[in-house]
Amino acid sequence: MITLASRCRRNIAIIVLAAILGGLVYTIYSLSLRHTSFISGWTLFLIMLALALYNARKKLPFMPWANSSTWLQFHIYAGFFTFVLFLFHVKFRVPNGTLEATLAFLYLGVFGSGIVGLLISRSIPRRLTTRGEEIIFERIPVFQRRLREALEQLVSRALKETRSLPIAELYAKRLLPFFAGPRHFWWHLVQSNRPRYALLNELEAFNRYMTPEEQEIAAQIAALITTKDDLDYHYVHQAVLKYWLFIHIPLTYSLLLFSLLHGVMVYAFIGRI
Amino acid sequence: MKAIPRPQRWDNPFDPDMTEADVDRILSMSPFREMNLDDFPASTPLGGILRNDTRIRRYQNGDIIVREGDYGNSAFFIMSGSVRVVLDGLPTSMLGRLEPKRKGFFRAFAQLWRNHKEPEVRDTTRYVAHSGVRARDDEGRDDRIFLQDVPGVLDAHNTARMEAGAFFGEIAALGRVERTATVFAEGEAELLEIRWQGLRGIRRRDRKLKEHIDALYRKNALITHLRETPMFRHLSEEELTEVANQTVFETYGDFDWYTSYKTMAEESAANRLAKEPIIAEEGHYPNGVILIRSGFARLSQRFGHGHRTISYLGKGQYYGFDEIIHNWRQRSEGETLPVWNERGNQPVPLQYTLRAVGYANVLIVPTPIIEKFVLDPDRENPRIPLALLPPPIVVAESAEEDVQQELTRLEINEDMLELLVENRFINGTATMMINLDRCTRCDDCVRACAVAHDGNSRFIRHGPKVGNYMVANACMHCADPVCMIGCPTGAIHREVHGQVVINDATCIGCSTCANSCPYHNIHMVEIRGKDGNFILDQNTNAPIMKATKCDLCIDQLGGPACQRACPHDALRRVDMQDGLKSLADWINR
Repeated sequence: MITLASRCRRNIAIIVLAAILGGLVYTIYSLSLRHTSFISGWTLFLIMLALALYNARKKLPFMPWANSSTWLQFHIYAGFFTFVLFLFHVKFRVPNGTLEATLAFLYLGVFGSGIVGLLISRSIPRRLTTRGEEIIFERIPVFQRRLREALEQLVSRALKETRSLPIAELYAKRLLPFFAGPRHFWWHLVQSNRPRYALLNELEAFNRYMTPEEQEIAAQIAALITTKDDLDYHYVHQAVLKYWLFIHIPLTYSLLLFSLLHGVMVYAFIGRI
Repeated sequence: MKAIPRPQRWDNPFDPDMTEADVDRILSMSPFREMNLDDFPASTPLGGILRNDTRIRRYQNGDIIVREGDYGNSAFFIMSGSVRVVLDGLPTSMLGRLEPKRKGFFRAFAQLWRNHKEPEVRDTTRYVAHSGVRARDDEGRDDRIFLQDVPGVLDAHNTARMEAGAFFGEIAALGRVERTATVFAEGEAELLEIRWQGLRGIRRRDRKLKEHIDALYRKNALITHLRETPMFRHLSEEELTEVANQTVFETYGDFDWYTSYKTMAEESAANRLAKEPIIAEEGHYPNGVILIRSGFARLSQRFGHGHRTISYLGKGQYYGFDEIIHNWRQRSEGETLPVWNERGNQPVPLQYTLRAVGYANVLIVPTPIIEKFVLDPDRENPRIPLALLPPPIVVAESAEEDVQQELTRLEINEDMLELLVENRFINGTATMMINLDRCTRCDDCVRACAVAHDGNSRFIRHGPKVGNYMVANACMHCADPVCMIGCPTGAIHREVHGQVVINDATCIGCSTCANSCPYHNIHMVEIRGKDGNFILDQNTNAPIMKATKCDLCIDQLGGPACQRACPHDALRRVDMQDGLKSLADWINR
């Protein structure tokens, strides 16, 4: 079985080789005084088309057309290769026409979102493994509701058994909003536990106004806060992993459409240049 | 709503063309003639078993009856004629093996739009068309494989003849193990094929048949098993017979381990370990080589106040050989007792404790027999090939060091090993492992599974975790598939390549397999008609249930869709039967 490191080295070697070969072809085209933009443009478009086909391949998992991981490897490395092609195609200049600028913006958007996707798909899974329970994204609201119900039961108990004002006040002001839904999106994304500790500290600070019975309930509430925070952590990270594609894919289709338009325009006006 | 009759046991007899006259004829033959009909309960009389669980098959000269390597769900009784057993194996090309039927390219592609929107939709017309399905197996209409050059095969291979009145295939049928030899008809032969449910029923009620099968096991399967063991391969037939005569076979644990497994799972690790029967204990004298015939055994070593698992053994593996060899090497010429030397060169007792995990059928070949047939008479030049001799045992300074040595050899961490053995995931041949450090939780695997199964996912991306690995709730296609025990119709069975699959057409929804599966990997579902409505029992209006599970995408072109759909190489179907090599390779890639 090929190791992941070996696979990475192999793919980099292939992409470097392809870049060198591409550079050679490009130079030969330049020397023969042909329009290099055509070869770089068509190559770029065809590779982008092949990259976009990955989404179609995902819809056909039962077809024997190589594993999805092989496609992804191609997607990643060919994606990097397109950046080199793109630079050659725009001749290392900032496009100035409206259509060309839009195209360049779209390409950079797709490329950039792809890089972000690669980075998060390599880093976030490790984060998810190290904190909280493994949970299926679609089931998170169910667990949130259960936690909220458990909290309400605890607070009701505190009110019935101890007439606890501190817990009631904390519930109304801080716990109710916290348990209402996913919270602290950005804090979780930057790996900060500040909101969690702030809430726990607040709860602990109220301990001085509580009886031992109330403190026992407060300890259970603290455990719920920790669980809820872990659940939010999973929600935030899984949401990022899922929703980045909602940027990458629409941009890809827009890019392909604009590329087609660009091609039509080029061929429409080629005779007059 | 649509209603159909609730499926019943024996709704689908093995052969619908079996007649009462056939049953009477079988009952007139020995050993059926000698069986006491009163020993059988009214619900499953002998006549009923013969009528519903058997079929008479007629073979021409050279017809292959069973093939080596196939998984047997039935045994055979020779009614007339004779058959030949190939003892040294036929080449695969001669066995005429066929790939299981897979969807063609266009049928596979059509799943994209032909899958139903409602879950668990079934074509109920298949349920009433069993005779049509079975008809392909009827005499003269099936694709029977035959040997073209029978005399040539007889010349080139070591074969044994079996005559009328003999049974064969019963060990494979009852032990849920592969056929160990190919059997073909010699001339015209008439055989009674008994599916394993029927054989089990008869064996349970008839003492003579039980003794007969046990004796056959000693005579046939034991020799075969010993012959397959590397250390005995150099022995002649006579020597092998002598080894077999001296070999003790014992069963540790409970065949029905899966019934107690679920309750045991809630107990502490120490309690669970204590309930595993000890086959051989650390520190004891090695009385013999212990060969695992079937089931699994845990190798553990004392650590603190408990035992630490260091490995496990499955079918074909053995224990005690290293210690016996080590001691034999240390023994001085002409002396009968080991001589104690400096550390590392001392005779050693058993290094680990061997326990049955669930159950284990073991063969114990006594130490003197090993010394006589495998090692002696020449110490410098033992009879066993030198390559098979293990290196001397180096006694570790501490248990910790020893465990680390073993774990380093396995290239797997201790927690992982404990999880796999404790939960008996070692039973799997296609255990779904997920590397959570690479899994983006995209659920592409789940969607791929659903698309390949008419919109119904056959696994849940959830399960026990150790470190960054998860064992997902997906059928593991066990080496010891306990789910197959008790299926009244044989709907759950092994395919050619070992996949455990359910024939939806013959499943009666009794839940036996789902209840037996210790891993909760078989699910009962309420089925719907093509119109999306639930299908009901016409008598009770209760929904008709079917058992469902992962089938490793047996009918798909590319193999398991889940593994192929994972973009990040995070999911793998791992075979645990190779001593964790596949798992270690994958983990350490």
